[in-house]
Order: sequence, then C-alpha cells, then structure tokens
Amino acid sequence: MADDQVTLTIDDQTVSVPKGTKVVDAAKSVGIEIPVFCYHEKLGPLGCCRMCLVEVEKMPKLMTACTMDVGPDMVVKTTTPKVEKAQKGVLEFTLLNHPLDCPVCDKGGECPLQNNTFKYGPGDTRMDFHRAENLKAGPLSPVITLDRERCIACQRCTRYSEVIEQDNALVMHNRGFNNEVGTFNNEPYDTRFSGNVIDICPVGALTNSQFRFKARTWDLTNSDTLCAHCGCNCNMTLGVRTNKFMRIEARPNDLVDDGWICDKARWGYDFLESKNRLVEARTVPDNGTMVFSSPTTQDAAVRTAEAIKKIVDEHGPESVGFIGSPYGTNEELYLYQKLFRLGFGTNNIDHKTYADSPGLPIDHYDVSEIETADLVLVIASDPTEELPILDLRIKKVVTRHGVKLAVLNDQATLMDKYAHLSLRYNIGSDAGVFAALTAAISGEGMADIKTTGIKADQLKSLVEMLRASKKVTLIYNSSALTGQSVAVLKQLMAMIKNIPSIECGAIPAVPHTNAVGAMDMGILPDYYPGGVPVADGEAIQQTWGETAPTQPGLSAMEMIRKAESGELKALLVYRANPVVDFPGGKQVEEALKKLDLLVVHDMFETETAKLAHILLPSNGPGVDDGTTTNIGGRVQFRKGGLKTAHPPDWKIISLMANTVSEEGDGINYITSFSVTDEIAKNVPGYAEISKKSIKKEGMTRVSSASINATGAVSKESSPPKPEALKLRIANYLFAHNTILDATSTLAHHFKPSIVHMHASDAKKLKLKNEDDVVVVSGDTQVSAQVEISNRCNPGGVVLPNISDEQGVWGLANSRDSVTWVEIRKV
Amino acid sequence: MTQILFHNINKKNLHTLEVYEQEGGYQGLKKAFAREPDEIVEMVKASGLRGRGGAGFPTGLKWSFLAKDVFPRYLCCNADESEPGTCKDRELLLKNPHLLIEGMILCSYACKIETGYIYLRGEFYDLCEIMEGAIEEAYAKGYLGKNILGSGFNLDIHTHLGAGAYICGEESALLNSLEGGRGEPRMKPPFPAVQGLYEKPTVINNVETLCVVPYIVNNGAEKHAAIGTEKSKGTKLVSVSGHVKKPGNYEVVMGTTVREIIYDLAGGIRDDNELKAYIPGGSSVPMVPADQVDTPYDYESLQAIGTMLGSGALIVIDHTVNVVETSLRLASFYMHESCGKCTPCREGTRWMWQLLNQIQTGQGEAAHVDKLVDICDNMSFKCFCPLGDAAVAPVISSIQKFRADYDELIEKLTANPAV
Ligand SMILES: Cc1cc2nc3c(=O)[nH]c(=O)nc-3n(C[C@H](O)[C@H](O)[C@H](O)COP(=O)(O)O)c2cc1C
Ligand code: SF4
Ligand code: SF4
Ligand code: SF4
Ligand code: FES
Repeated sequence: MADDQVTLTIDDQTVSVPKGTKVVDAAKSVGIEIPVFCYHEKLGPLGCCRMCLVEVEKMPKLMTACTMDVGPDMVVKTTTPKVEKAQKGVLEFTLLNHPLDCPVCDKGGECPLQNNTFKYGPGDTRMDFHRAENLKAGPLSPVITLDRERCIACQRCTRYSEVIEQDNALVMHNRGFNNEVGTFNNEPYDTRFSGNVIDICPVGALTNSQFRFKARTWDLTNSDTLCAHCGCNCNMTLGVRTNKFMRIEARPNDLVDDGWICDKARWGYDFLESKNRLVEARTVPDNGTMVFSSPTTQDAAVRTAEAIKKIVDEHGPESVGFIGSPYGTNEELYLYQKLFRLGFGTNNIDHKTYADSPGLPIDHYDVSEIETADLVLVIASDPTEELPILDLRIKKVVTRHGVKLAVLNDQATLMDKYAHLSLRYNIGSDAGVFAALTAAISGEGMADIKTTGIKADQLKSLVEMLRASKKVTLIYNSSALTGQSVAVLKQLMAMIKNIPSIECGAIPAVPHTNAVGAMDMGILPDYYPGGVPVADGEAIQQTWGETAPTQPGLSAMEMIRKAESGELKALLVYRANPVVDFPGGKQVEEALKKLDLLVVHDMFETETAKLAHILLPSNGPGVDDGTTTNIGGRVQFRKGGLKTAHPPDWKIISLMANTVSEEGDGINYITSFSVTDEIAKNVPGYAEISKKSIKKEGMTRVSSASINATGAVSKESSPPKPEALKLRIANYLFAHNTILDATSTLAHHFKPSIVHMHASDAKKLKLKNEDDVVVVSGDTQVSAQVEISNRCNPGGVVLPNISDEQGVWGLANSRDSVTWVEIRKV
Repeated sequence: MTQILFHNINKKNLHTLEVYEQEGGYQGLKKAFAREPDEIVEMVKASGLRGRGGAGFPTGLKWSFLAKDVFPRYLCCNADESEPGTCKDRELLLKNPHLLIEGMILCSYACKIETGYIYLRGEFYDLCEIMEGAIEEAYAKGYLGKNILGSGFNLDIHTHLGAGAYICGEESALLNSLEGGRGEPRMKPPFPAVQGLYEKPTVINNVETLCVVPYIVNNGAEKHAAIGTEKSKGTKLVSVSGHVKKPGNYEVVMGTTVREIIYDLAGGIRDDNELKAYIPGGSSVPMVPADQVDTPYDYESLQAIGTMLGSGALIVIDHTVNVVETSLRLASFYMHESCGKCTPCREGTRWMWQLLNQIQTGQGEAAHVDKLVDICDNMSFKCFCPLGDAAVAPVISSIQKFRADYDELIEKLTANPAV
C-alpha cells in the first residue's frame, strides 16, 4: 500500500495522500484551502480559471494546484507574496467585466466568486472602461436562466454536459473574449439532468428560473432530505422560506447519487403545494352510506379503524385488505402492515401487481458497487427513464473506469449506446432467455432459443463475457418482467453464484422510491417484514405474538377480484392509485365500487380517491419524516421540511392501531424514529438501523435470506388474432400524472402518446409513421401515434406510459402473462 | 552560404514529382529503409536538429519520447503557420511539397508511424490543393501507401484545413482541432508523445523541421551538425518583414548576425532610414533595440539578450515608428486570437488592448503605463498556454525598451488635453 502513498509538504504541513491525487485535494485533506473556480472533483481538472496557482519548490513558474499530481517530497506553498499577488491578479481579471450585480443575484450569499473575492481578491478594481455587456437573463431552457454577463467561462457546465451527461448539449461557442455558453442552434438545454449545472456554476450565470428572485439564500431554511421520485433516493436539500417551498438542490452522497440529482428532483416538487392536495379528512356520502361527519383527521382515523374492525367482526379478517404503496416510508408501511396483521388479523396486504419476492440468492449490491465491478449486466431495466441517476453512474463507469456493459432487454434503451453487448429478446420471452442463459452457463449447452428473438451466438457472447468477469453487478427490473420470470432470473443468479471465479451481486431496479423498503416491511400477502414467509409460524409468533395470522393473504390483484365478487368488503388504499396503475382499468374501478368500505389515505384526490367512502389526508415527502430503502438496500432518512397542522401519516396509522388494540397495548410513538427503532427490533436485516447509524451516508440493511426461487418457464401464449402484437408498457420519466400535473414546472417535457413498432409489423398492418391509431385490448382503447423503429423486435409494440389520462394499464388484464393488443388506424 | 532548403527553391516546377526526383528527391527513402528505424532517430539526434516551429526542442529527442510499444502512432505536421511575420513554411509548401512528404515519410519510418496528417491553416486553401496534388503523385509512384518501395513499411498522409485560429498552431490545440473539437490547448502532461491524437502517441513537427530531415538522411548527421554554431545546428529560414527594402524569406546559417540579415540579405532599411528596433522571432518574442543588431541569429545568442529565435520571423522597425502603435497592433492580434480558455489571457489581452488604444489615441496617462506593466506581470507565466506569455512579450518589451515613446504620446495629451 505504502507504494501508492505520496508524502509531500504543503505550507509546512506533511501530507500523505494516494498517488495521483491533485495538489488541491491533498491540501484540502489537511484543511488547507486553495481557491478554485473551474476545478470540480467529479469533472476532473481543466486548469482554465487559474485561481488555484501555488508555488512549488524547484518549479520556475507558479503551478495550478488543480491540474498537478502530488509528487514525492514536493514542497508546496499557498500563501507566499508571489501566490497572493497572482490570486489578486486572477481575481481582478475574473471580475474585470463581471457586472457585480450581487445585490440582485440569486447566487449571492453562496457564490464562490464572492467568497474567493472576499478572501483572496483585491479590494478594488483598476478597470476604467465600460464593462462588456451581454445577454442578461435569457432562457437557456424553460427552467434555467442564463446570464452571460455573469459567466466567468469556467466551463464547468459545458464539461458537465460532456463528461457526466455525455451528450454535449451545452457547449462553448466562439472564442477568446467572445466565448460563451450555449447550445446548438439555440435550442433549449432541457436534458434529464440539466439542473445540476445550476449547482456547479460558481457564479450566478446559471440560475433556477423557478427560484429566481424568490428569496435570498441566507433567508432559506434548508432541510437535508431525499428525493422521493424514484428508487435511487438521491440526497437533496429542500429550501423553505416562511413555510413555502423555494427550491431543491443536490446534496452529494457518493454512495447514492455521486453528487447529482435529475431534473425531476429539482423541478418535480410543485406537488407539495398542489391545488389537488387532500387537506382534510372527509367522508363521501355519495359513494354509499355516510360513515361519520365533519371529522378532524384524528377523529377520522379512529372512526376508520372502528369501521374496518366492525367489518372484520362481522365478516371475518379475510374480508378486509390493504393495498400499500412503494412510495411510503418504511415507518408508514411497517405500521400499516402491523395494523392489518395484528389489529385486523389479515395477511391481505400487498403493494404491487407484478411477481417478486424478497431475498436474493446472491448479494444485494449497494449502488456504489457498480464502480468496482468489471461487468454490469442490465436486465429489463431502463435506468434513463426509471432510475435516472443510475444512468449517469453506469455511463461513468463504462466510459471512464473501463467497466463492460451488457444489456438484456425487450426494448431499446439509451444504455445500448454504451453497451459492449446488447441483446434484444422478444416481448414476453424473458423467462425463456433467462432459462437458456442459465443452461448455457451451467454447461448444459444451448437451449432452443429460436422463439426468443436472440441468436445463439449472441447468447454465447454474453456467457463468455460473464465467464470472463471477476465481479458482476446485475441490475434488473422485476416490474418489467412477465409472469413468474423473476423466479427464473433468480435461478440464473444462483447459477452464476456457483461459478467460483465470479463475485456477483444484484441491484433490484424497480423504479418506485421505496420498492425495496415495501418488500422489506412485509407489504406482501405471503411474507412478514424482513422476508419471513407466512409459513414460518414459529418465527412469526415469536416476534408478532400468538394471534399473528399465518395463512397467506390475498395479493393486490386477488383483492381486486374478490372485491368484484363481493368477498372482500373493505379495503384501505394507501398512496396508491389502482384505478390508473393496476392492470384492468375500468374493471378495477367497477370492483372498487362494490366495496362496502373503501378508505383512501393519500396526498391527492386521485381517480381511486374519487371512489372512496373515507378520505384520509397524507402529508407525504417534503413534510413527514421517515426512512426509505433505496435500490441498493441503503436506508436513509428522508426529512420533512414544510410544516403542517396535520398529523404525520405515522401518527394517523398508529392512532388507528391504538384504536383497535387491546386496552393498554397501544404505543405512542414520539417521532418517526421511535418507529424506526421498533423496525430495528422486529425486522430482520434492520437491526443496525437507527437515527445515528444512518445519519451521514445512510446504511445498507442486510438483505433477507434467499428463498429458493421456483418458477418454470410457462408456454408462451399465442395471439388471439393473427394481427395481434405483444404489448410492452415502458416508462417515461416525465409522465404527466398526479405528481407532475398540468401546472408542473416540467410540463415542457410532457410527451404525446406514441406506439413504437417494427417496420415489418407496420408494413403488415399498412401503417406508416405518425399515423393516428388506437391500441386495443378487450374493451380498452388507448390513442397513440405510430413511430416505426427498432425499439422492439417484430411481433410487439412498446407503449411508453406518458400520462395517467392515457391509461395504458387499462390495456392489460393482469401481469400473469403478456398482453396482446391490436393496432387500429383511426 | 550553405543552403539546405532553398538551394533549388526557385527551380521551375520543383513542386512536381518529376522535377523533384531530378533534383535527387526521394533518394533518402532507400537509404533509410536500409537501416533500422531507431538508427534514423539516433541520426536525427546526432544532427543537432531542433524544432523550427518556435520552441526549438531537439527533434530526435522528441521522437525518442514516444510511448514504448503503443500503436497506432501518429505524425502531425504543423503547417498552421500563423505567427505574425512568419511565411517560410508557406514557401516550402508552395514550391517544394515533395520535400515535406519525403520528410514525413522518413520521420514516420523512424517512429513506426503509419498515418500522418498535415494540419494547414485555413487560409492555406490553395497550398492544400498543391499538397494534395503532390500526395497523389507520391501515392501513384509508390512513395506512399502500402509497402513503400517494397520495404514493408506503410504510410498514409492526409491533409486537414484549420478554421482560422492562430491557437491551433499550438500543438495540443492542433490535436483538438484535428479531432473535430474546439481549438483550445490541452493540459500537459500527458504530452503528445504519450497521449496525443486520439490519445495515441503522436509526433508533432513544424514543416521546416520535417523538410530538413531528408538532408540529414542523405548527407549524414555529421554534415548537418557541421553547419551553424555549437548548439544551434544547421540553417534557418528567416522571414524578414517590416521596413526593409527586400522583405522575404532567406535561408541563413545559424549564427549569421541580424545585421547581415537586415543589411546584406534584405537590402537595408527602407529609404535608408535608421533602424529603431527589431523583433527576431515572430510577434511572440520581445523586441530588441537597434544597438543589439550585431547579435548572432541563433537560439542561444538571442536568448542571451532576453529574446528568442521563435518561428524565425524577423520584423524590422525603423525610426519613424512609435512602438506604441506596434504594441497596439500586436495586442489587437492577441486579443483576437486568444482562445478564451483561461482567464488572464482572455481578459488580459482585451484590457491591454483597451489601454494601449487609449494611449495611442492620445487619452493616456502615465499611470496607464504602470498599470500595463502590472497587467503584464499578472499574465506572465500564469496563463494556460504560451499564447498568454506571447501576448505580453511585445507590450512589456516595448515599455521596457522604449518608455519614451509612451511618454511622448502621454505628454501630448498633458500639453494639449482633449476637452
Ligand atoms: C500560440 C502558439 C502558436 C503556435 N503556432 C505554431 C505554428 O503556427 N506552427 C508551428 O510549427 N508551431 C507553432 N507553435 C509551436 C508548436 O506548439 C510546436 O511546438 C511545434 O509545432 C513543434 O514542432 P517543432 O518541434 O518542429 O518546432 C505554436 C505554439 C504556440 C504556443
Ligand atoms: S455558466 Fe457558470 S458554469 Fe458555465 S462557464 Fe459560465 S460560469 Fe462556468
Ligand atoms: S434520480 Fe430519482 S431520486 Fe435521484 S433525483 Fe432523480 S428522481 Fe430523485
Ligand atoms: S493563454 Fe489561455 S486563453 Fe490564451 S490561448 Fe492559451 S489557453 Fe487560450
Ligand atoms: S481551479 Fe485550477 S485552474 Fe481553475
């Protein structure tokens, strides 16, 4: 190890750092600040601003500390008169044509140019000429304002576009004094990650249009929180002033987000102050019998619990159910399953409509493990649309760390461009491909994969890539798989694990914010928290007591069916919207209408909420505290920020629990962390999780023991009609829904409904690009425009879910098998 | 006087393969192919040849720095010739393109390179056509392409026209430009010899440098080393411009005095005026007052008097000139040509121009000159690439050596204040 350490002297301090460290970072490691503008550790050195000049013994010139690697016995001085004169000189140049509009600049108070000038700059300028004039406050995009007068041409933003986003959307134009930041043909700079340039711009040249002139930065109350939009759980800061939402900024955590957030995080929080928020508990007499009138939320919670309890007493525990949400916090979900299991005695608990079960036969990798892998295998996942920050991380390791990328998917994604090998299977053939791959790896030879759309030599290449790797990270999205194929995939994982030369782990990449937490918290009909199967009566009774139910409950889809048949009487839906998001569409709505009691606990008046007899308001992210578990299994604290008079969700749930518990058994939690402590006690894998342990970077929980995955490749279904095509519903990051509603700052990203199909199918159906069509399945129709491409293999269509209104899930009957659709011209 | 490059430069149709061959062209190839590549590198080292592009770096040494065993490698011939006052490469390209091709073949063979580029300044459109014609002829005759003269050695040469930026003559900016990127210099290290074009080991040499190589291979290193001074070997093309009677390119043996160049070769000062100053190596080097006209024209002697040989462009200034105007013109050039990457150069070149312009137009004050001096100090050796230092050189040297010229303009104002 010692060989890789370099020892040098900086300002008379001895510093020992790894070889290759830049002088500026070496100095920082011992608390010596060398001022910078252009240098950013994630972008690497450029050396253009000249702010970081230092004296290095034996070097005739001053050197830039940001570009210079440390050397053995190097002697660096950062405060000599020579250095100080240079710093003053550089700052004078930097400020020469700077407008100095700090009093009206959004960056004021947190501006590196201000800070460096105060610390190292000249007291005055010797510039007597009229300062150069340039564009003031022009739109770089609908959400970013560019002030060219303030730009100091440090190139951080353009290099971010080149090195991190890797699409060169933002570039420097012109040269010399006239160089300026811009885009090709003045097109808007509206990528998925554009907002990060605001954070890294060292001046007020790039500002957040939403935040512009709203507050001085020093008047903000900043809350260190997490993004609640997807399973990455990126760290961010929520800025609040007078209890009003002001802005979001990135809050770097290398283990989670590598320092970045996507634009959905930065501008996707209008919902905090949406007009559609549920602000009070209500009963809705029109939907049936009025249960109670004008309650407070607390009152409503009590009455709700009593109402459900009454149904349990009358019809038995199997007549009630709970549909939870992969967007709730661990605390909220934990309490809800406890309420339904112990309070109402039922395992009718679920949060999803696709097949998946807790536990992995291999390690559950933290996101940062991608960096040390030599092969990343992405399966059925579309990080760019589903887990954006993962997209940046994968691009980084592939282009800069020499990591190999293989992609196995039924649709084209942006990852293909970076992949060394990209295999496209036919929609619905996932299980077949996984089984064939398992067989090939185990040495059983090549199965017949003709119907999967993948060629034998391609599969062979993938096997070779796998076999040649030392460390493999598998990233898979079980919510994009059909039928039971996730179980077949787990068999593949188990097979890879058997190869001694390969270290292998997986990242379950379901897009939803707390999909991992929802499984861990046992929001499942057949598993208790921590992946304990209901069959494990002994373990369950030990933790949850004698009365804890040990019969498997109904899955979410089964609950809908039993509601339809009248067997399920009461359902509590927590922050989920089955009417829109579940397969079945109208049928789901009809089924829910048949319930004696539908309770919806949500932040919004969703389509499902409209059917409810009782509405309970949920505070949700930005307001309530709680923890979530990201796709890497990392548990972090999601702090609230805005204050409200409403009780937090965890309080509402515990009130319900206390209402139905035996006298004296109720628990009064003081904060959300009181619930976290109980989770640590009762949920296997979470024992180490506490307020303290997750404080800084979060902490990975221990993945639950692997359950023997059994699942066979079912026979592929045949088309109901010869011209029918298989449907793949894809995700779109900026879908127009309750979270990004019509007033959203991100509305410019909304897209029309497009159905992607292969040229050969289009030809058969006599369709051409931009034809208006309806995608039909049973009674459901979805309008779309045709786009002919190689997005999927012949025989299928890809239909991105672009809005709630579009109603794509109505086309599917269930997730048990692939959905067939017809495409009709209108 | 010994001439290596210009002895036959005005021979009719020298630019054709036929005449070039008649003049003994492409004889170097067989000689070279009979030797190991490394021997050629050693030969060039022993010849004492130094780069003619400006920095004067020993050419053979540069070739030996290529990262070991990393292939492919590239050769880039720097034909960007944009330094004010410099027009020598132009004459070689125009009149003797095959000499350059032969030089590039020899260099490539020595350095195990199979692809060469000639990066020409955008304005050299016509020269590019001449070059391409010559390349075509060379291919047809088997001097380029696969298995050249049965040696098993392959070489392709491509031309590339720049888009009109002085900075693209700087080797790393040249590489960026050649790759299709912005013409901005790169961080060094890594040096081009290790990671150059497309991150592969790359040799970058000036046109004149490469044109000397055939002479060395044909006549031996010793022959070349015998010409010139102890440390500045060979001859140098000097572009003489300014107030002389016969401006133009002259080939001189290293060590010839500036006086000889101005008065014997270039016919003396126009109108037999008095010499006031000269800039010996292109606009990027400090100017020198007339009393140092007997300095030998070689790397060491010019360095000893605080200036540089640079690109070999001798700019002659007579006594009718106030050097403030000279500085202003050059400042305007550097302001226009700064790539804008680094702050001191981007801002400083413009500020210097603003101040000089103020003085030149009779609105200056003595304090402005002091300010200029300090701006020069704040830029000197603090910029990202040598262009920033180059921009400083004419200004600071004109103030140091001819402060009276500044005072004269400023006094005019004091005596006659503009209302
Ligand atoms: C601003 C700037 C402009 C330059 N322009 C040229 C040029 O036009 N032609 C040239 O050959 N070298 C030019 N150089 C020098 C090159 O960077 C490089 O040193 C040279 O091409 C190396 O070739 P040589 O070793 O044969 O001299 C320039 C350097 C700088 C800093
Ligand atoms: S806009 Fe900001 S980040 Fe971009 S170059 Fe200008 S100062 Fe730097
Ligand atoms: S990647 Fe996900 S968690 Fe991260 S900022 Fe974007 S939406 Fe939020
Ligand atoms: S000194 Fe700086 S701005 Fe000037 S040309 Fe070089 S890199 Fe560009
Ligand atoms: S921080 Fe070192 S040059 Fe900009």
